[in-house]
Amino acid sequence: MLKVENLHFRYSRTGDPVLHGTSLELKQGEIGILLGKNGSGKTTLFKNILGIEKPKSGALQFNGENLLKMKRRERSRRIAYVPQDIHFGALSVFDSILMGRVSYFGLKASHDDYLAVEKIIEDMGLTDFAHRNVDELSGGERQKIAIARAMAQEPKLMVFDEPTGNLDIANEHLIMVEAKKLAKEKNISILSSLHDLNQALTFGDKFFFMKDGVVKYAGGKEIVTEAVIKDIFDIDVRIVEIENHKVILGGNYHAS
Amino acid sequence: MNAIHELKKRRKRNTVVVAALLAAVLAIGVSCLFVGSSDMSFTESLGALTGYGSPAHLRIIWRIRVPRVLAAVIAGAGLAVSGLVMQTTLNNSMASPSTLGVSNAAVFGANLSIIAFAGGFLSTGNNLSSFDVGANPFATSALAFVFSTASILLILGLCTLRSFSPNVVVLAGMAIGSIWTAATTILQFYATDVGLSAAVVWSFGDLGRATYRTDAIMAAVVLAGIVFFMLMSWKYNALLSGEATAKTMGIHVEGLRFVSLLLASVITAACVSFLGVIGFVGIICPHVTKKLLGQDHRVTVPVSCLMGSLLLLLADTASRSLGSGSALPVGAITSLLGAPFFIAIIFSRKENRRC
Repeated sequence: MLKVENLHFRYSRTGDPVLHGTSLELKQGEIGILLGKNGSGKTTLFKNILGIEKPKSGALQFNGENLLKMKRRERSRRIAYVPQDIHFGALSVFDSILMGRVSYFGLKASHDDYLAVEKIIEDMGLTDFAHRNVDELSGGERQKIAIARAMAQEPKLMVFDEPTGNLDIANEHLIMVEAKKLAKEKNISILSSLHDLNQALTFGDKFFFMKDGVVKYAGGKEIVTEAVIKDIFDIDVRIVEIENHKVILGGNYHAS
Repeated sequence: MNAIHELKKRRKRNTVVVAALLAAVLAIGVSCLFVGSSDMSFTESLGALTGYGSPAHLRIIWRIRVPRVLAAVIAGAGLAVSGLVMQTTLNNSMASPSTLGVSNAAVFGANLSIIAFAGGFLSTGNNLSSFDVGANPFATSALAFVFSTASILLILGLCTLRSFSPNVVVLAGMAIGSIWTAATTILQFYATDVGLSAAVVWSFGDLGRATYRTDAIMAAVVLAGIVFFMLMSWKYNALLSGEATAKTMGIHVEGLRFVSLLLASVITAACVSFLGVIGFVGIICPHVTKKLLGQDHRVTVPVSCLMGSLLLLLADTASRSLGSGSALPVGAITSLLGAPFFIAIIFSRKENRRC
């Protein structure tokens, strides 16, 4: 579905290349997790996929369509974004979610747009605070509104940039469960960056390890090994299996 | 359906606010016609308004007070809405209608006309005795408008050469603005005493310069702007989520920013060229609106306009009542109101989240 091929990108003409030859592939309904150190190019790759930045060369395909030639409005109906730091302005929750439909209605929301938002609010259990101002809500609630807004775009793919970065454990869990539900129930693909490797293993179907602007390892859970983590993050970990689940233990086990 | 019902209630409240403000603008606008520096009684004013009275009274009402009140309504709305749009599109709560150096350029143009070309301004101030005597007030205004428009195009042109990011626009605006100010200083250095004082008086900002013709021109520009800004409300709302996110929602951010800044600046250029510099309306009104009603542009665009009209009407009435015999410059009154307000913003904790 999403096919990134040999993407090259740098922020300015004289700057260092941030992406050089990045490729990845994600299928419909899959949850892909992007892992890598800070500065490895995860956010930049997202920006290119979302059309916030334009790559210097390479190909971006979405269900066979060329994303690089697609109008922004068209692209926004296929791919939605849940950013890391979420701003809404002083709008109500309802209006904030309705905003996700702007690429459909353009100037003025129709009754159908209102109904669509109404349904999302019900589905996601947001009815209780639909009329509060977004800036009165907690971090976790705002994150949920951001997901709801992305849902209003009726996308086939949702891109999450560090979705749990600012959240406590409870909200973190809530958001990831919500994301997984969307992927499995509505067949929406998800591409997300995450820091927590165990969380990645719990929620991800496919894993992409990035280093120095390229995806170095890609595949299912089987590719998450001690050696790969050592290569990507330069840390020693131990992987154990508990009840058929891989668990990554931090700390310098090999040295002791 | 509960949410939609709730939404309709909210929309009703907003309509009530807009209607109330509109009524206030009308009421205060009409009552301003009865206030002025000349000693006209209420009945004399009323008589003149309905077409009866001495030629002098008729002239004061129909040639001075009516165009002046109209100018306050039009320019107030224009400056306030320009400020709001600047703040949103530049993602900067300190942006104002003059962020692109519009006022500085207009002042330079006017100075050039008055000092270098001895433009017709001298006989068009708020000097009632010579109000109708010859002289073309358009020469100074035209040059002010030409320079401010040129300045806008220069800055926007420069910015499109490189990334059209808000910071680049603000900095370029500051830089170009300071060039105009420097040029004005040099011009004033070589001016005669009379020329200099005329140039300085011009920059004060005075609604007394308004005529039906200038009102009509300003109204055309301001109305076009307001209609465009209203249509773009949802796109401005999307911009509140940040530039990157707005792009992923399908908004052509660069194009929207370019057209919005151009329109807002042209509105400002028209108002400043005809009336002189009127500060702070463009900052106070959007901020008060946002603080009271949130940031939904479907509401803040019309409400800012009405707030601007209201403020300028009140400031102008104050300026006409305070100066004994002649009116104080309205630009000074709005700025006097502006400074304390700004301090209030800085020290208000809630403001940080909302603006």
